Amino acid sequence: MATRTFAGGIHPPEYKEQTNSLPVEQIDLPQQVIIPLHQHTGAPCTPKVNVGESVTVGQVIGDSDAFISAPVHSSVAGHVVAIEPLPYFNNTRVLSVVIEVEGDQVWVPDQDPLDYRDINVEDIRQAVRQAGVVGLGGAAFPTHVKLTPPKNKPIDSVIINGCECEPYLTCDHRIMLERPQDVVLGANIARKAVGASKVYIGIETNKPDAIRVMQEVAGEEQDMEVVPLEVKYPEGAEKQLIKAVLDRRVPPGKLPSEVGALVQNVGTAVAIAEAVTLGKPLFERVLTVTGPCIAQPKNLKIRIGTPVSHVLEQCGGFSQTPRKVIMGGPMTGWAQSSLDVPVVKGTSGIVALPESMVSEAKWHNCVRCGKCVKACPMFLLPNFIGMYAEAHNYDKAEKFDVLDCFECGACAYVCPSRRPLVQFFRNAKAEIMARRRRA
Amino acid sequence: MEKPDLLYSPPPHLNSGDTVTRAMRDVLLALVPIIIVSIIFYRLNAIFILIVCNVTAACTAWGMRKLMGKPHSLEDLSAFVTGTLLALALPPTFPWWLAVIGTFLAVGVAKEMCGGLGWNLFNPAVFGRVALIILAPAFVWLNADMAPLHLRFGIIDVTSGATPLALLKLGQGQLLPSYSALFIAHPGGSMAESSVLAVLIGGLYLLFKGHINWRTPVFAIGTVFALTMLLGSNPFYHVLAGGLVFGSFFMATDWVTTPITDAGKIIFGIGMGILVALIRLYQAAPEGVAFSILLMNPLVPLIDALTRPRKFGQIVEARIPVIRIKTVSK
Repeated sequence: MATRTFAGGIHPPEYKEQTNSLPVEQIDLPQQVIIPLHQHTGAPCTPKVNVGESVTVGQVIGDSDAFISAPVHSSVAGHVVAIEPLPYFNNTRVLSVVIEVEGDQVWVPDQDPLDYRDINVEDIRQAVRQAGVVGLGGAAFPTHVKLTPPKNKPIDSVIINGCECEPYLTCDHRIMLERPQDVVLGANIARKAVGASKVYIGIETNKPDAIRVMQEVAGEEQDMEVVPLEVKYPEGAEKQLIKAVLDRRVPPGKLPSEVGALVQNVGTAVAIAEAVTLGKPLFERVLTVTGPCIAQPKNLKIRIGTPVSHVLEQCGGFSQTPRKVIMGGPMTGWAQSSLDVPVVKGTSGIVALPESMVSEAKWHNCVRCGKCVKACPMFLLPNFIGMYAEAHNYDKAEKFDVLDCFECGACAYVCPSRRPLVQFFRNAKAEIMARRRRA
Repeated sequence: MEKPDLLYSPPPHLNSGDTVTRAMRDVLLALVPIIIVSIIFYRLNAIFILIVCNVTAACTAWGMRKLMGKPHSLEDLSAFVTGTLLALALPPTFPWWLAVIGTFLAVGVAKEMCGGLGWNLFNPAVFGRVALIILAPAFVWLNADMAPLHLRFGIIDVTSGATPLALLKLGQGQLLPSYSALFIAHPGGSMAESSVLAVLIGGLYLLFKGHINWRTPVFAIGTVFALTMLLGSNPFYHVLAGGLVFGSFFMATDWVTTPITDAGKIIFGIGMGILVALIRLYQAAPEGVAFSILLMNPLVPLIDALTRPRKFGQIVEARIPVIRIKTVSK
């Protein structure tokens, strides 16, 4: 199979065999859900409900007037018991609505399925926004914003991201196998919204069944092509995917629209399809619960706000004591210090790793082996950026383009000195941005 | 559910399993063929020098770090790599007190006093070797005093005469050993010069393990071959005799003291090759590999700056519209 790819990158073990053949299941609802009001990139939502109020499945509980934001919906029926800042997966606290689950938990569309071809572009964007759809690959960027490209930047290609290059995760794989029609429908809606002509579905070749299924479904569509991609991390990163599929390079600091491309994750495509045709808000998502410590690894469709501890119980708990529980994939996800945090829109997986897989080795000097330079998909010099950031020399870190780093972690993965490069880069970026704001 | 003791740390949560220790261990393994050949030729003399250098290296690293209040780092094995490399760059009958001084300068001065592994500008083993050559006049009195303590372990079956490169320099080509003898095994010079084959086995192992990059040795050796041929000498002897192959595979590929990018490694290799050829052909010394590497080391920051990769998407502005026109017309 001819495969396309980008330059740089790494080949971590895939660890996907635990869950890639397991169909997506539903689990019992928890007694309470915790729904953060800021689950996306952009402005946080303000609460639209009060403590004590009853809510229904899919009811808006938080919204914002800002363009770059997405409303938040209740994922359950019940009543609000608290609205307060609660722990969020990224180690901060976010204003969250706590809902006691009670009553009928079924969501019923109040409309017959619409044909997207009858809906005008503006209404598509409105429907996507009202449903609170954000990028489900992990970044959680509001989707209606991406579907509203600048007028002077025409988009000709929509790329559906089915790479799932993170080890362990298989939720996108299962979505492609189980709901290929909805992926294609979402792709068509996105294509219409941005006025593109072509749709490409990029899938790594470690998912031959998904490639086959998507090819069958996409083959019946106009100008829709499945692109097999090399199995390499980070193949699914936006700029790298555009390079692999279209051979176009998004310039530093620019968005994909600069080169006429729009990228949507397969899960997002399904969410777009449901939002536009059914009016279904994004109150549940598919994620993978896996890792050597999970008794019964599963692909699950989970209501947003379900506490991680409840999800883990529903997967049989731990088969061995975990040392790290990660929300998201093991390359870019966040380690959790508490299991009380809720699953949110951007949570693509929960991965529990045992002591033996967790490196607590102390890190030391850079030995200039250059492995990070070969791994960096942005062609930066992570070794130098790391040394400058470590020395708090943020001016130099900026000169070495730390702001172009998107924190894929390929450099830290290969580093024989085990340097916490991503953490260095985050520190440097935070400091540089803080200085810019002060200036 | 039980509350496990969870570790918070930044991503990524997986790593390749590579460590500095593992890489250093592989370098030591790669040196085994050379050590074996040395022991076959020089018996206990080779073992003695190796022990002297390694013990000195370990003590120096430990002591210097102790003095500087740093935790010891012997487990990264880099002191032993330096010690072994330096030992192999010495002749088997080298006075042990000079080997101690050389190793001290290598590990103590060139490495630990520069900040430890990773911060050293010069390749420690090469620094130690060159220091011993340059400072030789200063050691005359020492040698005289220490001579009675010189240890020899049996008679060494070596032509104690000139090395092949010296013969070449003196124009005594008729005395030179055959190419195949030089390639497979031929005593004389420093221990690492005994067998090109043994060096290549180790070098290929490091290449296979992904620790070194082929560009540096290929361009260094290629440059010496081409340049000596152009300048009218015998390129085969310049490659097969002396320390060129050893230096190219084991010294010029040192992570810390050579350029970081592929282009930089090529520049380093070519620069080193030119220096080797010029020193061998136009200077009094018959050999110049160590000097060449040591001269290239301080140029590394400059080479790194000149070969900094262009970041992703950083292209001539005009290319984007070109791409756009192509795709739109399709």
